[in-house]
Amino acid sequence: MSVPATPQSGFPSRKAPLRRRVFLALTGEYFWFYALLLPSILVLIGVILIPMVFAFQMSLGNTNIVVIGGKGSIESQWVGLQNYLSLLASPLFWQAFRETVYFWFVSIVIEVTVGIGLAVLMNQNFVGRKVFRLIVFIPWAIPTVVNSMLWGMIFDGDNYGALNDLLLRLHLISTQIVWLNPMPVLSQVPWLSNMLGYLGANTAMNAIIVGDEWKTLPIVAVLVLAGLQTIPHEYYEAARVEGASAWTQFRRVTLPLLGPILTVVLILRTMQLLRAFTMIFNLEQFGLPLLSIQAYQQAFSFGSFGSGSAISFLIGIIALLIAFVYIKQLYKEEM
Amino acid sequence: MLKNAAITLSAIALLAGSILATPIAQAATTHHSTPKPIVLKVLYMNQAGYTTQVLRQMAAGFHQEYPNVTVQFTFLPYGNMHSAILTSAAAPNAQYDVVLSDLIWTGEFAQRGYTIPLNSYIDADIKNPGQIPGAVWDGFKIGGRIMAMPFLANFQNFYYNKKLLAEAGFKSGPTTMAQWLHQMEVLKAKKIVQYPYEDSWTQAEGLVCDYVRTAGEFGNGNLFNAQGKPVMNQGPALQALEWMHMLYAKGLANPNSLTADEPTAANAFASGQAAFNTNWTFVTGIMNDKSESKIVGDGVVATFPVAPGTNPMTHSASISGFQGLAIPANTPAAMRPWAWKWIQFATSPKVQAQHLHSQWPVWSTVASSAAEKRLNPSWKVYEENLNAVYNRPAVANYLQVSSIIQQYVHEAIAGTLSVKQAANDMVQQIEALN
Repeated sequence: MSVPATPQSGFPSRKAPLRRRVFLALTGEYFWFYALLLPSILVLIGVILIPMVFAFQMSLGNTNIVVIGGKGSIESQWVGLQNYLSLLASPLFWQAFRETVYFWFVSIVIEVTVGIGLAVLMNQNFVGRKVFRLIVFIPWAIPTVVNSMLWGMIFDGDNYGALNDLLLRLHLISTQIVWLNPMPVLSQVPWLSNMLGYLGANTAMNAIIVGDEWKTLPIVAVLVLAGLQTIPHEYYEAARVEGASAWTQFRRVTLPLLGPILTVVLILRTMQLLRAFTMIFNLEQFGLPLLSIQAYQQAFSFGSFGSGSAISFLIGIIALLIAFVYIKQLYKEEM
Repeated sequence: MLKNAAITLSAIALLAGSILATPIAQAATTHHSTPKPIVLKVLYMNQAGYTTQVLRQMAAGFHQEYPNVTVQFTFLPYGNMHSAILTSAAAPNAQYDVVLSDLIWTGEFAQRGYTIPLNSYIDADIKNPGQIPGAVWDGFKIGGRIMAMPFLANFQNFYYNKKLLAEAGFKSGPTTMAQWLHQMEVLKAKKIVQYPYEDSWTQAEGLVCDYVRTAGEFGNGNLFNAQGKPVMNQGPALQALEWMHMLYAKGLANPNSLTADEPTAANAFASGQAAFNTNWTFVTGIMNDKSESKIVGDGVVATFPVAPGTNPMTHSASISGFQGLAIPANTPAAMRPWAWKWIQFATSPKVQAQHLHSQWPVWSTVASSAAEKRLNPSWKVYEENLNAVYNRPAVANYLQVSSIIQQYVHEAIAGTLSVKQAANDMVQQIEALN
């Protein structure tokens, strides 16, 4: 049943002619609704929509900074999809793509498994639960740059790096490991090492994932905890009456009802992971060329703003595709 | 009625006239009595070279000379300088009236027109340009145009710890590559240090500097030949790659070098962990500073060891890291004379002579002054290394070339690619840029 385009509802139907819709919006009871939204809409247009259109326009051109007659500006020559096609033909782009996907995938797996585990733990009744929740949340409060420096010291490749020092004292290693150097993992098994290397795995990448997850897991756990607390206890009681084990309760009750909040968490984290920059750049500069690092390098080191913008849009498209899959798989059960 | 209206209108006109006329009159009076205050915006780094404190002292001196001009600094880490200059160039009017320009950006800035040539200013106001070494000028010259006025004469020195060498049975540092290798092997074999050498081989610009310098130590630090072709897969450049990989593979260079930048490598040397360090001139200050160093009195500044039969004139091979002061092309015309006045002031021998403790001067007259000799007993070694510098490739797309060099040199050292393959891939990728 469609909403009638009548002044009774005060909200103009989409089927009403445009002029009438505008008239009703300006004169009807929803005038203030639109009036109060207008500043936010204008800000969104100013800081998101216009820059996005401008960036897209740059991605379709050979865009350079020029200074003509003492005035600086940005000059763009239309090249169509050339920037995108050049990227897709570049082995360096695909290497960055694989590394980005590896970084995203491993991080998301850790967040879903450990994050849900932590949230379930924080949802239990035990002595010191409040203190435990507080401790778990502390890393989230640490600024990303400080977190980078912290993990830089932990992973320092010298003997006095915290991790090396600990492992040497425990005699688990005989010589220091340069954790932040992108070296192959599992080199004892060459075929596996080569395959993982192709997919983007290396020591530096894994070290950065650990440092990044230490900071971001708490927010995932807290959001999932919020989701857990909306599940009525009666569902669990009913499941127990039916003889469901703890695992079955988790699989049949908890997980399906966490669908909506997990969708939000996964979309949010996917977007953050695909554009992750600060920690990677602080610790590796251009040594770990994920897509976000490549976009920055193309634009601000090489001055190729067209190519940099194209990479940014490709990151956006990848994020949208992944978000679409999440929504299809997780959210539909609740619709 | 009409009379009243006319009186009212006249009164309004008089009032408006007096309101408008007052500031104009005031401005005119001010113009004749004191000059208009000017804020000169300067971009400088807070990482190396003259310290931020020294820069502020220079600015205070400039303000004394020109009381109407205040110098306002923006200090950034070196790694952010290029992008700051680039984004400033996109604005109608430059964000900075004067910028610190690295010699590796000279080609790019000249080709894209981001900074202006300073020839006319230099011809008019710099009386003795010959007192700045030709190697320093060359870093900022392209096709006869001088894109920046030399400000920082930065270059690398060879540092060794004489106490550790004495423990290993050596009375002096090495002068040839073979001697250097032998000393490192003995230091390691006698377990005097776990890793005799630490360098800055993280995938950054410092790695390119070390690569060029090492190629220089083998006889030629020019990575491009006279025809502009990359030559990393042959001759001294290839030998340099083999040498760097060999030091890593034999455990003579600390594996942490692969993630270390220049300050990290300097700290390893100053803490006594490493017997050798090849680094910029700032290490001299660190190794002699009790608050930062455990080797005060043991650190020696020396010329670089070289392969026999190479570098016959200099007997050393260093790398330039010169930086100059430049005027962005979108600095408003009215500000350019003031921008030049600041550049002329800050780069003058008089001002550089006041800050010898902070930085090696660009002026040879100041470098060989009694004050410098008193402050820096190694001044002769400095001069020799300065005369032996190689420059990194002067190409317009240098940052892209550098990015490729960094990647493949890093892979060659770490052994993730064989030296030969890394060198060939490097050449192929650079050629593909054009």
